[in-house]
Amino acid sequence: MARALKTCLIVDDSKMIRRVALRIVKDMQFETIEAGDGSEAIKICQKKMPDAILLDWNMPIMDGMSFLKALREEAGGDDPIVIFCTAERDVIKIAQALDAGADEYIMKPFDSDIIESKFLETGLL
Amino acid sequence: MSCVLSLSPTYYRALKRLTLELAGIRLGDDHRFLVETRLSALARKEGFANLEQMIDELFSRGQTRLAIHVVSALLQRATRFFEDRPSFEMIGDILLPKLHQFYKGGTVRILSYGCSSGQEAYSIAILLDKLSASFAGMKFEIIGVDYPSWALESAKEGRFTHFEVQRGLPIRHLVSYFDRAGEDWVVKKDLREKVRFVDHNLLADIGDLGIFQIVMFCGKLTQYSPPAVIRILRSLSRLVRENGYLVLGSGEEIGEANYGFDIFQDATGCYKKHSHSKPENIAEKPISTFQETAKGTHRDSSVA
Repeated sequence: MARALKTCLIVDDSKMIRRVALRIVKDMQFETIEAGDGSEAIKICQKKMPDAILLDWNMPIMDGMSFLKALREEAGGDDPIVIFCTAERDVIKIAQALDAGADEYIMKPFDSDIIESKFLETGLL
Repeated sequence: MSCVLSLSPTYYRALKRLTLELAGIRLGDDHRFLVETRLSALARKEGFANLEQMIDELFSRGQTRLAIHVVSALLQRATRFFEDRPSFEMIGDILLPKLHQFYKGGTVRILSYGCSSGQEAYSIAILLDKLSASFAGMKFEIIGVDYPSWALESAKEGRFTHFEVQRGLPIRHLVSYFDRAGEDWVVKKDLREKVRFVDHNLLADIGDLGIFQIVMFCGKLTQYSPPAVIRILRSLSRLVRENGYLVLGSGEEIGEANYGFDIFQDATGCYKKHSHSKPENIAEKPISTFQETAKGTHRDSSVA
């Protein structure tokens, strides 16, 4: 029997970024779900936790950091591997993301090599 | 605007011959676009109107400096941090503890052979820094060696692009060991000082580098021609100290001739140098720079 695909939730307010990330993650044999902000993403997670979350920082309604904190408080919220994927490159911001429970961090712009590398490092591949 | 300058079949054949003669590396016909892309950038940098003018200059005047730049541009590999992870895990989990037990202190010398832009050498430095508490009393010397090139100059500066630092390098390592420098990232001084880079023709006599307990030559063997592979493995055999290790990439083998090595614990790609004598004190032979070894390089760099 074929093994179920892992799922990756892509959270970004930019449709274009979501489309690019989605294509890369699909090519790595993941099932994908999209959300345009943190509040939409938390509702998806409350129904079913994904295996991985690719998370933008600056978004309207609920930003990435608020989402991450809310996620880790949910039942089963420690399970998903969370990889920030953001234009923020400041070392202090990176440290804040890691302290808040992010597993990895991608600085935009990214390419398929970078996403694959981060998925490998976090044991998703 | 950057555009790729094209190369006639005759010039491409001449370049293939040059790369084989100087570096022992075979360029396939499918490498043509890559070759044109890389050499177009070099031609512009060197001030030539087109690619063929640069190749003309190279072959008509036999310019050694230009030949080295051309071949270096062709040989640049896209490398990543902690490339071939199993090799790094083996070094950290098995080889270093064995060397620590064997030498009980002293200096362990590690060579990244064909180091390109330095990711492998800096990855070793990071690994050693992480494991430093386990190897009390042991010092390490890390050297990266490759043909002179822009990539090697970046390695010496420890400067990497936004894309390079995100390939193979965990974010926690980036934060701990690098500083931001505009769009790039630079290895912190403390770590940079633990690694030395040397310009050298990999096919020339490399005995002046001294000898090493670990030599890494990961994922590169297959690009060389059979005669060059023999030449390189013989050189590497001289570079590895008895009871030291040659680490090739996962899945890479040295072939039937053993060059003084045994397969190490059935680990693919790792070989241990035969032991013929008792362990000696580890010599700390000084290494030379490219300028000091230029004779060897230039001798091999004659063109036309």
